[in-house]
Amino acid sequence: MKKQLENQKRYRVPLRAFTVIGVILSMIILMSFGLNYKTNKEVSKTPVTLAVKKDSITSVKAFKQVYTVLMSARCMNCHPSGNIPLQGDDSHLHTMSPQRGVDGKGVYAMKCANCHQATNTPGLHTPPGNTNWHLPPADMRMVFQGRTPRQLAKQLIDPKQNGHKDFKKLIEHADDGLVLSGWNPGEGRKLPPMSHAAFKKAWITWLQTGAYAPKK
Amino acid sequence: MYNPTLFFEYYHLFKWESKNINLMINLNVNQKAYQIDADPNMPLLWVIRDIIGLTGTKYGCGVAQCGACVVHLNGEAVRSCVTKVSRAEGQKVTTIEGLSNNNDHPAQVAWNEENVPQCGYCHSGQIMSAAVLLRENPNPTDADIDSAMAGNICRCGTYLRIRKAIHLAAEIQKKEGASK
Amino acid sequence: MKDITRRNFIKSTGTAGFAFWLGLSARGSTSKALDLATAKNFTPFILIESSGTITIYNTKPEMGQGTFQSFPALIAEELEVSLEQVTIRQSNGEKELGTLQRAGGSASIRTSYLAMRKVGASAREVLIQAASNKWKVNADNCYVESGKVINRVTKASFTYGELAEDASKLELPKEPKLKEAKDFKILGKSGKRPDIPLKTCGKAEFGIDVQVPGMVYATVERCPVIGGTLKSFDAGEALKVAGVEKVVEVERVVGKYHFTGIAVIANSYWAALQGRKKLKIVWDTKGFETFQSSAYEEHLRSLGKQDGITDKTIGSVEMVKVSPKDTIEAFYETPLIAHHALEPMNCVAQVKGDKLEIWTSTQVPSSVTGSTPNDLHAIVGFTPDNIKLNAKFIGGGFGRRLYMDYIIEAVNVAKHTDKPVKVIWSREDTTEQGPFRPMTFSQLKGGFSEEGKLISFQHKVISPSYFESMRPDYDKTKVDAIMVEGIGEQAYEIPNVKTSYVRADYHVPVAAWRSVTSSTVAFPHECFIDELAYKAKMEPFDFRMSMLNKPSDTKRVMQKLREVSGWDKKSPKGKGKGVAVWEFFAGLCAQVVEVTYRPDKTIKVDRVIAVIDLGEVVNPDNVRNQVEGAIIMALGAATKPGISLKNGQVVEHNFYDNPLVRINEAPGIEVHILAEGGKVKGVGEPGLPAFAPALANAIFAATGKRFRKMPFDLRVI
Repeated sequence: MKKQLENQKRYRVPLRAFTVIGVILSMIILMSFGLNYKTNKEVSKTPVTLAVKKDSITSVKAFKQVYTVLMSARCMNCHPSGNIPLQGDDSHLHTMSPQRGVDGKGVYAMKCANCHQATNTPGLHTPPGNTNWHLPPADMRMVFQGRTPRQLAKQLIDPKQNGHKDFKKLIEHADDGLVLSGWNPGEGRKLPPMSHAAFKKAWITWLQTGAYAPKK
Repeated sequence: MYNPTLFFEYYHLFKWESKNINLMINLNVNQKAYQIDADPNMPLLWVIRDIIGLTGTKYGCGVAQCGACVVHLNGEAVRSCVTKVSRAEGQKVTTIEGLSNNNDHPAQVAWNEENVPQCGYCHSGQIMSAAVLLRENPNPTDADIDSAMAGNICRCGTYLRIRKAIHLAAEIQKKEGASK
Repeated sequence: MKDITRRNFIKSTGTAGFAFWLGLSARGSTSKALDLATAKNFTPFILIESSGTITIYNTKPEMGQGTFQSFPALIAEELEVSLEQVTIRQSNGEKELGTLQRAGGSASIRTSYLAMRKVGASAREVLIQAASNKWKVNADNCYVESGKVINRVTKASFTYGELAEDASKLELPKEPKLKEAKDFKILGKSGKRPDIPLKTCGKAEFGIDVQVPGMVYATVERCPVIGGTLKSFDAGEALKVAGVEKVVEVERVVGKYHFTGIAVIANSYWAALQGRKKLKIVWDTKGFETFQSSAYEEHLRSLGKQDGITDKTIGSVEMVKVSPKDTIEAFYETPLIAHHALEPMNCVAQVKGDKLEIWTSTQVPSSVTGSTPNDLHAIVGFTPDNIKLNAKFIGGGFGRRLYMDYIIEAVNVAKHTDKPVKVIWSREDTTEQGPFRPMTFSQLKGGFSEEGKLISFQHKVISPSYFESMRPDYDKTKVDAIMVEGIGEQAYEIPNVKTSYVRADYHVPVAAWRSVTSSTVAFPHECFIDELAYKAKMEPFDFRMSMLNKPSDTKRVMQKLREVSGWDKKSPKGKGKGVAVWEFFAGLCAQVVEVTYRPDKTIKVDRVIAVIDLGEVVNPDNVRNQVEGAIIMALGAATKPGISLKNGQVVEHNFYDNPLVRINEAPGIEVHILAEGGKVKGVGEPGLPAFAPALANAIFAATGKRFRKMPFDLRVI
């Protein structure tokens, strides 16, 4: 390839220089649109208020939507009631029974990140990935599986059970990396029942209207 | 001023998903340096087996289900069949061949003492997984052993011996530690 | 291993050292030879060289069943050498080493036990004779120890090597004296297997590990609808993939079936896989795309109403008078399953002109290099003399590697290049293509006399036919003996028995799977015996013993089992135990399984106690390993999903949807060996058939729920 270049050098040097610069520039621009270019790109830009305008009916209605997402396989599978994560669209116990461990990162030869790497492994039935794959730690298990809407709503706003999140952090949590990765689950896995944008809207609505828990 | 390889360097820097473009990749396997010319998406398993030529690490399923492909990446048990070789660049890879110099890691000694293997195909992966357990838990219970080893399938069914051997390996490890 | 003729031997050592072989004639009498190239009617097992090297040929492929140690042990014991003193040569199908180079049917030890001991003993005696001749003393004045013959009086000694030339001239004893068990140094002891250290440090070479200079790799795309044929293919995109060299059509033959696949040949397995993804193939699915497992199972159930062909009769079930209230019937079902040897199928083949060389893991080296019409040469078109095999350690056989289909396929790929080609089957290929253990259904009927004695027993098997899958000329009017094995041969004394067979058409290749049909008919048979026990209001163990009055191996095994399992100690509430026994061509084993029925309505298998009847035992620890493994395999077959077809395609693909048992599911297992003389029985398979019925019987005892269909899920009771 080098020989070819030298022959053409006389004619192509200026053009090639611009081409190379152009390619590098466009690469930089494209890269800046996010490493998660495959996911739903809507990192919402609308400002979020921390003000609470109580409206129990709107709040509960919004939470019912939130609930469907949190109880879908993509979220619930890492919020199991036991110490083994769930797996698959049918949320069966993860094959080979990896254990939560103290920090939620797995134990011994089956630490989560050993197989669940920074990005999804290509192909069907291979380990999906994100940069922070783990279960909630043993002292803050944040269980979703088996929770009724009322139980879950109460749990989510209790700092003693929700990972010490205050209202501000709860609002921000909608754009947390792990939450977002639920919408980038890898080939062959069902997405949550609504888009991330719709989920985020429902989540924030629920919080901003008073974070009411449904009756049941 | 023009450098035609600049494109490839930037590609490598940003690590886009490539379409069968080979790169020179630096690997450290069993404390030996290798420069491999391969597709960075090639699973580490096939690089180890077919390019480097260390066939102790086995192919059993290709989807991280059976554990026959377990190697250590900086001491952690990863499944080389779903690990791209690019993940291993600049890291320390240890295969079964590099676990010890004389087949004398406590797990290997115990495995031989207890006549664990039947066909033997799964045992490279079994031992590599057991080695992590033994390093992190010098007194594993049967429950600990299950937690560590349930990811390694043995079709011949040597599980009871694996349990026994790990207990023995823990003993051997203690004795070795005491004598140091 | 090079051609082992004396001329080559002299060439290779460079010295005119002496060597002679000892072995068996075709009729099974001990024999010797000085030159293998010219020896007729002779199979060697021992080579004694004047240099002092003693070589024992192991003609039974090692697949984890331990023949690497146990087969040579038979010879070494009588020859009075330790296994560390000898060189064990694993055979590679060399013609000189005979036509019995195969491992299967749990036959390696049980068919060779006496013969190999005689070979070792005759070598020992002829060496003693040679020494005593040299010393001019009586043979009684000499004894052997560790490869030497020693003069009792003068304490002088000769090594076997020093005696080789003289010994080779003597006539072998007609009936060599075999050692007594009390003098055994190797047999009956749990000796170390020399292959195990290789397997704990990654040094053991399996077929898939073979690397030959200049080797290329291939993967084959086969029709996903089993039975489909190739219409056309477009390799354009595949050939563009970096590393891909060629894309060719190849035939694979399994049994009577001929399948065509498209092989992608590349400079790495990874590249070949990428190329395979880009193939565009048009298959003619020939109507097989309408095949559904569920419909087929309905079909088998309806076939169960037919009488079928009678296999065996004792007395007359038609004539005996049994009232309907004293009769019970049951229908049992077992699924199609895969072998899942952990080393997937693979083969390296190289064609150079009219010569063929093969490197692979196979249970049948003699079929690869043999010259009968059923051997490889006839299928791939080479002369047997031009076929060379390099046989490697086997990463799991279980019957799958009795078939040469993956070898045939690789040879056909190799025909398209002069480079050695390694064909590897992915786990998906293995799961989706088979061949599989056939689903086998059973109709059972039993009737009691007025006095409550079991006087009528019928077992009808409904299944696809193994022989039909293997041979195009199978006679459908006859019973497929393999599909009914054992059902008429259990030791129970029942005055009227009828066994019969209904064959079902099937288009999917089927294969022997560890313990063959016993793995599917022992379940209905022994579960039904339990059902009959409950009908007779008898305790299941007592019921069986009531039909084992005459002395028999089964009776002896059951008595031992009752004792060592503590059967008569009643299970506490929430626990149950079950018993089953099975005898078949491979051997005899009885088991008690203990389970706990947990509050969450799942079953935990606590403990299995097995008694295996061997007659003679070579390596007890190895036997225990085999029985433990067989039980684990049986647990998987009984409780994990099998293989199903939808729209003609296999639904399952890999271990995530066709799981195997893992360590956290393994119960405790105790193995008791009975080696009290008599007929030598096998080890590899007998541990398998009795487990599933014993488990189902235990579950019934603990829960009152009777499972008549395998698999049954222990998590959903």
